[in-house]
Amino acid sequence: MSPNPRPSPTRLERAVLAMHGRPGPGYLLLLALCGGLVAWGAYAFYLLFTQGLQLTGLGRPVGWGNLICNFVFWVGIAHCGTLISAILFLFRARFRTAVYRVAEMMTVFAVMTAGLFPVFHLGRPWLAYWLMPYPNQRGLWINFRSPLVWDVFAVSTYLTVSVVFLLVGAAPDAAALRDATTGLRRRLYALLAFGWRGTDEQWRHYTRAYLFLAGFATPLVVSVHSVVSWDFAVSLLPGWHSSLFPPYFVAGAILSGVAMVITILVPLRRAFHLEDIITPHHLDMLSRLVVLTSLIVGYAYLTEFGLALPQPASDPERATFLYRATGHYAPFFWTMVTCNCVLPLLLLARRVRRAAWALVAVCVLINVGMWLERWVIIVTSLSHDRLPFAWRTYAPRWPEWALTFGALGWFFLLFLVGLKVLPPISIAEMKEAQAHAAAPSGTGTLAVEVSHVA
Amino acid sequence: MASDPHDLPLNRRAFLKLAGAAGVAAGCSPRAATQKVIPYVVPPEDIVPGTPLYYRTTCRECPAGCGVTARTREGRAVKLEGNPEDPVGRGALCARGQAALQALYHPDRFIGPVRRRGATLAACGWEEAQEALLAAIAAARARGPGRVRLLTRPEPGTAGELQRAFMRAAGARPADRVVLEPLDPAPLRQAARALFGRAEVPAYDLAAARSVVAFGADFLETWLSPVELTRGLSTGRGRTGEARTRLTWVGPRLALTGVSSDRWLRARAGGEPAVALGLLREVLDPRAAVAGVPADLRALQPRLAAVAPAEIEAAAGIPYAAIAALAHELTRRRPSALLGPGPASQGPDATRLAALLLLLDLALGNVGRTVRFGADPGLDPPSSAAEVDGLLASLSAGEVDVLLVHHADPLGTLPAALRAAEALGQVPLVASFATRPDATTARAHLVLPDHHALESFGDVSPRRGVVALSQPVMTPLHGTRPASQVLLDVGRRLPGGEAEVPWTDFGALVRQRDLERAQRAGASDAATASRDAFQRGGRYEAAPAPAPVALAPDAASAAVALPRAAAARAAGELDLVLFPTVLRGDGRSADLPWLREIPDALSTVSWTAWAELSPATAARLGVAAGDLLALDGAAGRVELPAYVYPGLRDDAVAVPLGGAEALALAPAARDPSGGRVLASRVRVARAGRRGRLPVLEGSPYQHGQEIVPAVTAAAPSVPRPDLSARMYPEPRHPEHRWALAIDLDRCTGCEACVVACFAENNVPVMGPEAADQGRYMGWLRIERYLGEEPGGELDVRLLPMMCQQCSSAPCEPVCPVYATYHTAEGLSAQVYNRCVGTRYCSNNCPYKVRTFNWRDVRFERPLDMQLNPDVTVRARGVMEKCTFCVQRIRYGEGQARAEGRPVVDGEIVPACAQTCAAEAIVFGDANDPASRVARLATGPRGFRALEELGTGPAVTYLARVRAPEDES
Repeated sequence: MSPNPRPSPTRLERAVLAMHGRPGPGYLLLLALCGGLVAWGAYAFYLLFTQGLQLTGLGRPVGWGNLICNFVFWVGIAHCGTLISAILFLFRARFRTAVYRVAEMMTVFAVMTAGLFPVFHLGRPWLAYWLMPYPNQRGLWINFRSPLVWDVFAVSTYLTVSVVFLLVGAAPDAAALRDATTGLRRRLYALLAFGWRGTDEQWRHYTRAYLFLAGFATPLVVSVHSVVSWDFAVSLLPGWHSSLFPPYFVAGAILSGVAMVITILVPLRRAFHLEDIITPHHLDMLSRLVVLTSLIVGYAYLTEFGLALPQPASDPERATFLYRATGHYAPFFWTMVTCNCVLPLLLLARRVRRAAWALVAVCVLINVGMWLERWVIIVTSLSHDRLPFAWRTYAPRWPEWALTFGALGWFFLLFLVGLKVLPPISIAEMKEAQAHAAAPSGTGTLAVEVSHVA
Repeated sequence: MASDPHDLPLNRRAFLKLAGAAGVAAGCSPRAATQKVIPYVVPPEDIVPGTPLYYRTTCRECPAGCGVTARTREGRAVKLEGNPEDPVGRGALCARGQAALQALYHPDRFIGPVRRRGATLAACGWEEAQEALLAAIAAARARGPGRVRLLTRPEPGTAGELQRAFMRAAGARPADRVVLEPLDPAPLRQAARALFGRAEVPAYDLAAARSVVAFGADFLETWLSPVELTRGLSTGRGRTGEARTRLTWVGPRLALTGVSSDRWLRARAGGEPAVALGLLREVLDPRAAVAGVPADLRALQPRLAAVAPAEIEAAAGIPYAAIAALAHELTRRRPSALLGPGPASQGPDATRLAALLLLLDLALGNVGRTVRFGADPGLDPPSSAAEVDGLLASLSAGEVDVLLVHHADPLGTLPAALRAAEALGQVPLVASFATRPDATTARAHLVLPDHHALESFGDVSPRRGVVALSQPVMTPLHGTRPASQVLLDVGRRLPGGEAEVPWTDFGALVRQRDLERAQRAGASDAATASRDAFQRGGRYEAAPAPAPVALAPDAASAAVALPRAAAARAAGELDLVLFPTVLRGDGRSADLPWLREIPDALSTVSWTAWAELSPATAARLGVAAGDLLALDGAAGRVELPAYVYPGLRDDAVAVPLGGAEALALAPAARDPSGGRVLASRVRVARAGRRGRLPVLEGSPYQHGQEIVPAVTAAAPSVPRPDLSARMYPEPRHPEHRWALAIDLDRCTGCEACVVACFAENNVPVMGPEAADQGRYMGWLRIERYLGEEPGGELDVRLLPMMCQQCSSAPCEPVCPVYATYHTAEGLSAQVYNRCVGTRYCSNNCPYKVRTFNWRDVRFERPLDMQLNPDVTVRARGVMEKCTFCVQRIRYGEGQARAEGRPVVDGEIVPACAQTCAAEAIVFGDANDPASRVARLATGPRGFRALEELGTGPAVTYLARVRAPEDES
């Protein structure tokens, strides 16, 4: 299918090993930049921790702002990994092979980023563990009716499953690297390889386990962001209280997740000369996913407005949506619509899909739009509740921006380190795919063939 | 399976080990070493830790003299409430009265006498201070009369008697004691003297009036005796149908008092006398056939008939038909009461206005019924503006050696144009008895700080038949000394002073005077009777019968003249309306944190003064709310942030009194009868910058949502949504279901409940920055809507908003840690130490009544002494909200249980309901169908806020009644 020449197995291993080689100045610069952002964010959190949320722009009625927006955004980013690795695996979408490792790494790191924000935003973050159900002598328990508790379960489950999925999927590659490295790295890979020796028995168990895990992870793709959307949907607030939210949020999450994968892949393949491994075909397929989800998101926007606007003038729901589109925050709203619904349509043109940097530009803007979407949902609804007397606008202050960009730094810092630890391309599956291609009839013995390489 | 206790892994040895380790660990705690709890060695009499002790005393924040019940805990006052036995306040206390507590614990209080050394005031001993004062007075006395002056607040009681004796000892003439009352209704007193020969302010019985017309008299805020007058109006508002009291407000600006009115006549500034004249013209018209008009008054009719309606219309600035309609209402609805002038209508014709209103009252037969003369004891009437100005002139001329300032702040309450600061600069010794720094102490040479009123003995007689007694409710906090005691000590030591000042102890003198009263009243055991009087808070006799009045025809004839036509307006000039507000008062308490933090009910502005413009004027000037305005008058120039208020005429700009800004603009002029003129004109322009204007309101309009409905005679009930379809069963409240009913037809927006809530619940004051960011912590706010849509009809509606304690509270299910949950008594409880601060509850609350602790709040000594020990001080990061004063509920339930009886309706009263002068807030058990709250809540006017959401609030509002427009 791919028009590009297929890379040879040795080329694959060399490419991956090259990525694990001595870091170049560009890498170190990026590392320093991300580290700096993290330090800035950490300082902001230190201030919030010691002085309280007075340093934010929050107040009444807007009790949630940038921080919760970041939580939803990063959970959304986390979606795509499982989508690509599990769902597309089950659907046998071949193009996933080259990109799924990056997507999975992205998932794990994005959940690790997202999970910070519910803690950051608490009035008393040192008591965040009170949201966990744990036996204690005070006889206190958590409120299972609260969506915030559902979040705790949804996000922690998602983190566990995606970590397991990533590590299981990476075990054969880790074994390959174990055999190719020495010293400390070798020890690390020995650990990550989980005693992988590549025997037939292991391969049989491995493919089974991977299939089961994929099956197990698939509902999570739908559930996690559905649960996150319930944070809003089960409330009483006009603009939040909507049964549309779960599918709308899942589609949005996939849109932003795929956009983020593309945003990462394009520079990655350029930096490590992986053009023959991550081919324009792969990017093309991902772009199509972007267009599809963008259309779903656009449909959701239309539905929201279509349901709200015909209501009588006194309806608070209608007032909130009119406020969104015409009020104080209208510029953000229209930027969001442009980024999420209009710009992705450019990807309908093959020329744009194939122009790597245009693709990246669109994808970065999609994520700006998706971040704004969450911000618009959270802030415009809160600032314009039912009692007009209580209306008040919100503007984030610097510690919130520090945490927002600090999170970006944290995510990419994890990613940069991850690149040097795990092979960002699954060697085993790539070889498997090549074997598939080499034996078009499909014999069912490829596991054995590949295992020789490992 | 339950295991045998002998099989527990914890044996005796292990237990002892653990206990020992725990003991050592506890001993190592750094706090254990420093915290000590020491029991009283000799317990003070009456003080039982944990049990409140109440003292009766008297509020001295304004001349009304409301009775106070001070709640003390462990020897310190923690809250001020009204005295239910006192006929003035009847258990209610206004916002400023309650905030007096903060003056007691004010961190800036003088803790001892200070003396000027160069530019600063340095501490000195009482001996030194009194010696200095004595020497100065003795020297001044030797130089002849008039060299010693005393400027005091009104002291209608023993303190006044002592002051006069002291002044005699100091060789002063009676006129050398000047009584300063900045918001004194002097024109009314002057007019009464001219018309009836009685220089007194009448007492108004609004409960008996069927119609009330206020000409700029903010009687629900600061005018005369606001608590008493609020209760009077509220009584009339409790009647239904035609008998419901109708209130009309006349003036260029719709004040908070006007918000309670049924009709607003937008007379131009200074047009009020023309309105009154028009009313008199119509009332005396033979066609009106008003019976019982005195002949002398009827004789004026031809002269009135000669005034053309067009002239009246031009002078009043409103159509004559509106005046005629009001006159028609007054002739129909008798008795009525016409009140005025207030500070907002105190123009150059204020005395004429007062006279016209008294004539109207006389013509309508109100005098003797709703307007009663003979109640003013006249013990210490405030000096006229002319006398105050005369004092300043003497000071400037260097004719005075010693000026004593007793609870008066000439620099902080007199118009800056009077140049009181320069006058004071000419006095060699200015001695002040202020308790905390004010504008005058900044220029004083000697400050001899008085006790706070809650630390002192005293008595005042606000009216005949009432002697309000004050007694210390706690040991003085600082090394202060009662001002009267200082005067007494110094006076005795003046040459020949002992003859004039024969007493030694002021407290003993106050008690002695009361003993004499008891004896005069014929008490068999005067000592016991006097002690009872102190315990009750005063001596209350039935109000005296109204004194008959005789009209002086000449004075009446003089009053009946159309006021001077308004001078032509220069370009860019607007009428300046200076209005008092309930929180700012005359400015002497305006620095108290509660009064600054709580937003003004009408503008919702806190922490700053502001300048109001009508929307049309603001648009013409290109001004938005918060833009700085430059107000340039003959007296001075100030810059104030603009607030756009549709309740103001287009040709006026309004600035609140009670601050330096209003004083800078107030003219130095006096009216012909010697009253202070507050009206003037100013040029208004954009200053070109933004100012800080912390407002509580988001949008002042209801945006078609009908959040606060009103009812009319035609539609006497509020339509309620159908909530019969429910998925879940209602929560059950087997024993009690605590509930509130708030009557919006009585609520005046006076903010007394808000201050009570701050005091009772340790609600912190956050400051202007927090107010800007929506971090106001008040548990109770007065929501004020101006109408349906911007630019629409002005229809002000108030809605006190606190936690609605919903049956199906949206805040409860979303809390992940059960920090908020529904109690069996229907309260939405908030567990502070369980709260982690997700703020989801606040987001999900449709009423937005939850407040979050964005930062740590510290109550540093002595502020912590005011804290109510029954209520937790909340930490940073937790949510809080109105609890229906759960501590009071628990206390009441505990009392009932201890006495083995059920809780009686009305026994438990939250702080807001306790202090409501209008009795608009009623608390009780909705489970008991006979309770007041249950009966009110099921009435036709009942509605609940955002009821369609199905939250099931425990607060029922009773809709405001709209009087029919056309008077038939």
